[in-house]
Amino acid sequence: MDIGDSVEEATFRAEARAWLEQNAPHRDPTKRHKQSSTDTEQDEHAQACRNWQRVLYDGGWAGLTWPKRFGGRGGTPWQAAIFGEEQSKFEVSTGAFAVAHGMVAPTLMMHGTDEQRGYLDAMLRGDEVWCQLFSEPEAGSDLANIGTRAVLDGGEWIINGQKVWTSGAQHSEFAILLARTDPDAPKHAGITYFILDMNTPGIEVRPLRQITGVAHFNEVFLTDVRIPVANVVGEVNAGWKIAHTTLSNERALIGGGNTAWSIQELIEMARHYGRTHDPVVRQGIAKAHSRAAVLQYMGYRLRTSISRGEMPGVVASTMKLFYARHWAQTTGLALTIQGANGSLWGDSALDDGLWQQTFLGQYAVRLGGGTDEIQGNVIGERALGLPREPAADRDLPWRETRGSTR
Amino acid sequence: MNFDLSDEQKVVSDLARQIFEGHASVERVKFIEREGDGFDRDLWSELAKANLLGLCIPEDDGGSGFGLVELGLILEEQGRRVAPVPFWATVVLGALPIAEFGTAAQRRQWLPGVCAGDVVLSAALNERGADDALRPLTTATRTANGWHLKGFKPTVPAAQFAQRVLITARQDDGRIGVFLLDPTQAGVVVEPVRATNHQPHAHLVIDTVVSADDRLGGPNGDGEEQLHFILERALVGLCALQLGVCGAAIEQTAAYTSGRLQFSKPLSTFQAVGHQAADAFILTEPMRVTMLQAAWRLMHGLPSRQEVLIAKYWASEGGQKVVHLCQHLHGGMGSDIDYPIHRYFLWGVQIETTLGAGSAQLARIGELIAREGR
Repeated sequence: MDIGDSVEEATFRAEARAWLEQNAPHRDPTKRHKQSSTDTEQDEHAQACRNWQRVLYDGGWAGLTWPKRFGGRGGTPWQAAIFGEEQSKFEVSTGAFAVAHGMVAPTLMMHGTDEQRGYLDAMLRGDEVWCQLFSEPEAGSDLANIGTRAVLDGGEWIINGQKVWTSGAQHSEFAILLARTDPDAPKHAGITYFILDMNTPGIEVRPLRQITGVAHFNEVFLTDVRIPVANVVGEVNAGWKIAHTTLSNERALIGGGNTAWSIQELIEMARHYGRTHDPVVRQGIAKAHSRAAVLQYMGYRLRTSISRGEMPGVVASTMKLFYARHWAQTTGLALTIQGANGSLWGDSALDDGLWQQTFLGQYAVRLGGGTDEIQGNVIGERALGLPREPAADRDLPWRETRGSTR
Repeated sequence: MNFDLSDEQKVVSDLARQIFEGHASVERVKFIEREGDGFDRDLWSELAKANLLGLCIPEDDGGSGFGLVELGLILEEQGRRVAPVPFWATVVLGALPIAEFGTAAQRRQWLPGVCAGDVVLSAALNERGADDALRPLTTATRTANGWHLKGFKPTVPAAQFAQRVLITARQDDGRIGVFLLDPTQAGVVVEPVRATNHQPHAHLVIDTVVSADDRLGGPNGDGEEQLHFILERALVGLCALQLGVCGAAIEQTAAYTSGRLQFSKPLSTFQAVGHQAADAFILTEPMRVTMLQAAWRLMHGLPSRQEVLIAKYWASEGGQKVVHLCQHLHGGMGSDIDYPIHRYFLWGVQIETTLGAGSAQLARIGELIAREGR
């Protein structure tokens, strides 16, 4: 065990810091910026992410942990963590590439053909944003129940169905898609994993305006959308297992992410509102600080296990659940500290309403990538070895489980 | 950076597990509780034979020179078996400070004996009327023969078995001193008390004189520094014990709820049950990472005050929640003392409150982060 930068890591940190100083504007840690909420602001944010990703690529800092043969730097998970820590002090983001880099890339590296791995370079260069077409109106926690159909027609698959909760679909060039290719097989055994070009005719993206005021998620309607057979990832009808690679990485991505605030901001807020002598507020901030420390150390464990080549399974679910609760509890505390002002909104509120927005955004964190309850199931089954909950539909043909109306 | 245990650390952990599993079976623990005085001397001599008592004592003093992370691994294994031996009191509260600050004579007199299993030590950190061990109320007055110690020290672990108890006291010159007291000497009343977890503790009523040679580190020893040293390690030791208590309690709960059928299926397949077990797991992981972080930093001489308090906060707050969940999920079996799970509940609650429960740690963390920032 060795917690702390080794000599090589310290050298790497200094090198990263020096390069960032040359190439990125500083972030003021005490000042928060309003999240992009209008469509124009979202477009600008996505473009800024593309621009910064290109700078990273040209500077040799993109794909830190990716193998060199895929255009990456071939570095360690620790180097990626160090670079992330340093980068967070600057006013730059790669957020629009979270799905591409965090979820699609590890999946294609593990399961893709050489041709499919050809997509990696463009996402690394900042040219292509990806989104994830998994969830459907009737397939949320029960993701394996998806009903979007894919039917083979010569050299192409024809897709019909509806997806929902798709982050960033409006900015994406490509998508990963789960669709049902064998409705007569049990539900887990008839799903295929596709790569979809979002410029294909028949795709309609409709934004969902959320409680936070932002339209981050979308509905995506697919009508006679054609996908070449070469875009199947893995085998036909064997997409469920591949989806697991993506989901496991999604949990690690969410759970290992930075929060949108620092404890110092809460302390400053408490001072600003004269609440530093309130013992409940003091304990609340101390608890938030302790949770942040836990997430930092759990991140060390996650990276240690990734650096051994393990899939981020139980640790990712644990972190994701812990992170979601931390988010909910801490943003709730922030509104409590603001007292009556906590009920204000938008421009009328502190920091242009960002705390209110973050508080309301907790549901995206607690539900996305598998709900709190799904993580509870994963931990029960995989960490504690509890028997799986009996499921009546597990071995039946999917078509028979859909009820008489279909 | 690497959060894996080294091969050497794994060997220590495996060895400790082997000894505790082999010599602290449920039946044995029950027997000591029923027939004995709460101190399993057979297990103690097995620990000595395996060199685990001296593992973290310097080689010059007869030990093996390992550090606090390794010590934490041993305590975790003790916690897993809720084994009745005064390991925390002797090694963490007694031997570590003597090894760090003791004069040559003090080290020679006590440490080889600890390694051999012949000596039990402890420290008196609690004070009635003050919840902060850093501000002792017991007084030490300089006399011609040494130091006159006067005060009351409640709930001292294993005091009735100890050859020496480290007494923290406020000296007449305003400084803090730590003194090696023989609890059997005249002027000390040892009043055994019952504790929540049934482990031996005693109150000490002290009105006696100790020799000047019995001041830890001699006349120039920095009592303030010594007290911080003892307290930080005491807290991390408790965290390690609690980690073992909680880890084993969850495993037993998973096994119990998976084996017990109600409504024709295992209890654990009801999400209302399985999710409570998962919650207990989620609370134990923070205990593990914060304990290791604090132990590792202390071992490497890095500033660790916040990390230690954060670890004890999780051990207290998370620990009590875990043992409550496990107790509850055992249904009626939880209250049957013929069944082992209740001991984990009692140990969990005892460790929670020892040297400050969760809210006390939070108050200290709050003071530190408001002052230092982060």
